[in-house]
Amino acid sequence: MANQTPAVVMDNGTGFSKLGFAGNDSPSFVFPTAIATKGGAGAGGSGSGRPAVANKPSFLTGGAGPTGHLSAKRGTEDLDFFIGDEAISAASGPGYGLHYPIRHGQIENWDHMERFWSNSIFKYLRVEPEDHYFLLTEPPLNPPENRENTAEIFFESFNCAGLYIAVQAVLALAASWTSSKVTDRSLTGTVIDSGDGVTHVIPVAEGYVIGSSIKSIPIAGRDITYFVQSLLRDRGEPDSSLKTAQEIKEEYCYVCPDIVNEFSKYDRDRSRFLKHVVTQPGGRQVSIDVGYERFLAPEIFFNPEIYSSDFLTPLPVVVDSVIQSSPIDVRRGLYKNIVLSGGSTLYKDFGRRLQRDIKHLVDARIRQSEVRSGGAKSGGLEVQVITHKRQRHGPWFGGSLLGQTPEFRSYCHTKAEYQEYGPGIVRRFALLGGPGGS
Amino acid sequence: MLLLDYQNVLIQSVLTERFSGAPPVSIDQTVSDFDGVIFHISTPETKTKIQVSIQIRCFQDLLRYGAKEVLNREYGPYVVPPEPGFDFSILVDLENLPAEQEARDELVKKISLLKRNAMAAPFEQAYQEHYHLKQEAAKFTTEEAPQGVREGGEVKAIHYREEEAIYVKASHDRVTVIFSTIFREETDRVFGKVFIQEFVDARRRAIQNAPQVLFRNDPPLELQGVPGVKNTGTGEIGYVTFVLFPRHLTPQRMPDVISHIQTFRDYFHYHIKASKAYIHSRMRRRTADFLQVLRRARPDNEEKERKTASGRTFKVGA
Repeated sequence: MANQTPAVVMDNGTGFSKLGFAGNDSPSFVFPTAIATKGGAGAGGSGSGRPAVANKPSFLTGGAGPTGHLSAKRGTEDLDFFIGDEAISAASGPGYGLHYPIRHGQIENWDHMERFWSNSIFKYLRVEPEDHYFLLTEPPLNPPENRENTAEIFFESFNCAGLYIAVQAVLALAASWTSSKVTDRSLTGTVIDSGDGVTHVIPVAEGYVIGSSIKSIPIAGRDITYFVQSLLRDRGEPDSSLKTAQEIKEEYCYVCPDIVNEFSKYDRDRSRFLKHVVTQPGGRQVSIDVGYERFLAPEIFFNPEIYSSDFLTPLPVVVDSVIQSSPIDVRRGLYKNIVLSGGSTLYKDFGRRLQRDIKHLVDARIRQSEVRSGGAKSGGLEVQVITHKRQRHGPWFGGSLLGQTPEFRSYCHTKAEYQEYGPGIVRRFALLGGPGGS
Repeated sequence: MLLLDYQNVLIQSVLTERFSGAPPVSIDQTVSDFDGVIFHISTPETKTKIQVSIQIRCFQDLLRYGAKEVLNREYGPYVVPPEPGFDFSILVDLENLPAEQEARDELVKKISLLKRNAMAAPFEQAYQEHYHLKQEAAKFTTEEAPQGVREGGEVKAIHYREEEAIYVKASHDRVTVIFSTIFREETDRVFGKVFIQEFVDARRRAIQNAPQVLFRNDPPLELQGVPGVKNTGTGEIGYVTFVLFPRHLTPQRMPDVISHIQTFRDYFHYHIKASKAYIHSRMRRRTADFLQVLRRARPDNEEKERKTASGRTFKVGA
């Protein structure tokens, strides 16, 4: 039936979930991947800390939970929960505990995730899952068992019409097709995905992730916020809460070409120092100086030693080594198409600085090998970092782009196929948007 | 979350944000709602003029039962000719909003209830018919009521999904609402039966003033002779009948009753899925428990062969 219903695109990340319909240019809902359930944090469904180990089958003890009387049996406590922003506000009150079902990009608590999905489908998106196709995302190196679990929930609980699970990095590449710099719609490239918790550098060749070459960097949005906070504290600013630090980070920070020059520019020109006004709880307004942290904060990607003492490799070097560890025949494509994705790549000139630094590394290496080879000339190597408008919700937008193509449905696995082959069917998906596609 | 909302959350949030005085931006969003309803929020001319269009499968049915009047009543000044491909459009000018916050919230609420209001038309018509018939019927005793009054009005069919429909029939002492439901999944059918049984039993147990609910697998008598009603005899299609008594038919209760009954199918399906989720979580818990039992059953001190540094073994005690 459902011939013209738009596909539902869901990108559930560690911090935030992006939900919406294919064809739109921004997700309809962006809210924390959080669920608040009755009974303190860490609890399963019912009351106690760990679900009670029933020593008798539950039909003997009378069914649900610790209290066996009738009201509990007819209860609806499994429906007593909130997700997203409502969860955060419910958890600040009494009685509810907050949970994050996704850790490090992977689903940890399937009970919570199932309820999170059911609520986001019925309450927020308001769709009947039987009428819609779904496009979900997964992190690179997601175990196939997780895919199967996801398929089980979507096909057996929700009876969804069709399902496609795409890798976030591949979708981020697809999202970059909107940039004017991209001429051929290839699915080869290096994705730099920097969210709140961790930054990944993921090489993708023809739509397939080169798993052995993925590197992650323990520096991401949260660390920048902490760094800004520590700078504020060092100066003894009147307000140095995390929230203030985050606001400063989002509003004023940018990437400079060279720190030493930038310092002297600031010293010459006092107008570069700004004031930020914070309204504290209680209505008091404080003004905060914003100075060097404007360019120092994103600088920790390029000079990690100013922030961390145990991770010291700059981002350009990591990107270069990722590409160098990939198969030799795709390296040219990987250098040519370095795509940014995620909130922490939005700083002004981030892409330009990255491109310049990687170019330096590459050129130095080419010169060396020219010298060693004794007179051979290299044709040079193109390095291009692509910045585009949809970076913030890159994977979601890529999903929206691919989900609206007419052939999307033929790439999905349908409920009938699932029942024919079982959950193992979702271990493989035909490559969406790959060669032969649009 | 026991009940589903009637309004579309997304339209509500988009409009609330736009009405709050934020700088105007261009919007172009396609939004879906239950039963294949599609909304399109856009700013076709300027950024300050927001157009909301709706596409409903059964709009022709609704028009027949007076949707036009209901929608004009609700959205009078905002109605514009429908956008191509859609059935009904309204246009709100951000520069021409009501000044007070309450009035704005009211407008947001009203627009997000677009689907509900469109679908409400047949119900409202049935209500009116009921009031009319009630007056008529008061003039006669049961035996001598003329033909038209005793049987009640004609059956209004709303084919709101491809294979499912709502039938509404008014008579002088009740309004009957019949849903035809279809389940493609065997498991869903079982869950559905249990649920509907609960509805049927609700009156018997505690809630005396709930509407009477009947469930059967063949078309009820009210639907005899209605075109499009097939008796497949396979039990795939179920008919859920709600009988609304005069208690539910007072003009004060009308809006609530209509909203509730419209979301019945979505509510029904939502809860089937929620119960599945609940059963799944119990299954997972039980598996975890069994695994724990298995782990505990493993003996602690399994005899390991000991080796010297050079790899030779000793036979102890034998």
